Amino acid sequence: MSETVMDMPEAPNAKRLAILDEATEQGVMDLLEKIAPLLQGRRFDNIVDLASLASDGVDMFDDAMVQKLMKAYEEAVGAAWAVGNAARFAAAQTASSPVPSLFGILRLAGDEDVRRGLHFALTFLSVLGRQMKDDGVE
Amino acid sequence: MTKHILIVGGGIGGTMTANSIVAKLYPEILRGQVKVTLLSDSPWHYYKPAFMYVAFDMFFEGELRRKQRSLLRPEIEFSVDKVQNFDFAGSTVKTASGKTIGYDYIVVSTGCLPAPERIPGLKEAGDYFYQYAPARQLAEKLRNFEKGRIFITVNFPKTPNVPHQCGIAPMETTLMVDEYLRRKGVRDQCEIVYTYPTVSQLLRNCLFLQKEVCDVLPPVFESKDIKYQRSFTLASVDAEKKIAVSEEGNEENFDLLMCTPPIRAVDAVLESGISQAPNNEGWLPTDRKTLQLEGYPNAYVMGDTVDLPISKAGGSCHNQCPVIANNIAGDMRLGRTVDEYDGKVQAVAQMGLEAGMPLWYDYDEDVHPTPPTKVGGLLRKAFNRGIYWSVARGII
Repeated sequence: MSETVMDMPEAPNAKRLAILDEATEQGVMDLLEKIAPLLQGRRFDNIVDLASLASDGVDMFDDAMVQKLMKAYEEAVGAAWAVGNAARFAAAQTASSPVPSLFGILRLAGDEDVRRGLHFALTFLSVLGRQMKDDGVE
Repeated sequence: MTKHILIVGGGIGGTMTANSIVAKLYPEILRGQVKVTLLSDSPWHYYKPAFMYVAFDMFFEGELRRKQRSLLRPEIEFSVDKVQNFDFAGSTVKTASGKTIGYDYIVVSTGCLPAPERIPGLKEAGDYFYQYAPARQLAEKLRNFEKGRIFITVNFPKTPNVPHQCGIAPMETTLMVDEYLRRKGVRDQCEIVYTYPTVSQLLRNCLFLQKEVCDVLPPVFESKDIKYQRSFTLASVDAEKKIAVSEEGNEENFDLLMCTPPIRAVDAVLESGISQAPNNEGWLPTDRKTLQLEGYPNAYVMGDTVDLPISKAGGSCHNQCPVIANNIAGDMRLGRTVDEYDGKVQAVAQMGLEAGMPLWYDYDEDVHPTPPTKVGGLLRKAFNRGIYWSVARGII
């Protein structure tokens, strides 16, 4: 990028037809050359079928579907990331400190972060248990 | 002795850089040789580009923010505290809570602020979408807009060759307004006028800050009956009469003035006295390759705060982040920087309410526009709704 201000004349909006462009023509010829074996062996049909399937998929996608899929994506990635981080962090911490005694473990519960984690773990188990209830199903 | 890396700013730049630095320097962190701290003035992390969608009732506030801590690796010390003073020579910052924090390395990623008050009358009469509350206000006005003239202005910083916030946003929102009004069935009663100032970075008399995009815009606008006008550099606004006045001497009436307002660095950066930018805009003098603050090799600058000719957008931060992480690691391990930023920025432009156009550019090559597609639009939607948060976490 140069460092001087460049004047932009108001150019006429002549739109060149892509098909008249020499580079386009050469590109199409090269492409034809490349796919010729696939065309001759009727194998290009599979590519068209696949493209058609992908196209159907694109047609089916809408805003609501993207929102739902991305919510699931973010929840899954976020949860995996948080658990992975916690495991890595805890592994590093425990590797560099001696194994605590039974009372030492209880003393750890004095730490607010530990209690928050325990609270989460117990609530998580309670939700899991609630989901596992059979509700009288035979 | 433990080296302290301080990152200031909880936007996309600071967040992904804090995570990347931890990943890069993990062996040193494990040995207790490095400590990483992130300071932000908010416990929330906002996906700022979504404010644009708020203006069209396409995003709720709860959908565009996450708790900052949930986006940070646990090795990062996170504090909600606002930096009030940078002392780059003394390698310390002072915070709103009264603390003085020393550092060995600092990354300044404090973003920029809209400053409509810098153009007389604009704050009173103009609407914009770069923050949540103004975007909500614009949404209400657009919702009730049935007929009249929507006048769009773009205001560049006075610092030469520095762009406004998110280069593509004015064009994106112009196309979005058009489609929004068509959906409402009132487009025939509305006139949309897109204007661009006489000088836009290194171009004069253009419609966009890069030539190739500028060349394709007129037919795009004409096909949608959007009027366009070059050389309208907003000088003042008569809020009562609803007239926008340009430096070139034109006067244009409007019913809704949608603007990309002037911008400036945050107060603490302005007051650091380091910036040489005119008009008290505050952009920090940044080495275009190493991203170090000029004269202060242990300070790095990224995102909106730089004085570089690249977009003030998350797509810039995404490419600056690994350079800064590598250079801090290089300096710590080898005594020198090891990486260079090539000016790369990438994004998926929202072209109307549905279509999208992936794009990239760098210091040497401009954007090559391609036809907007539904697939591009889906990619943008997927990014808005999910992929962004993986980017912030440093996963992508």
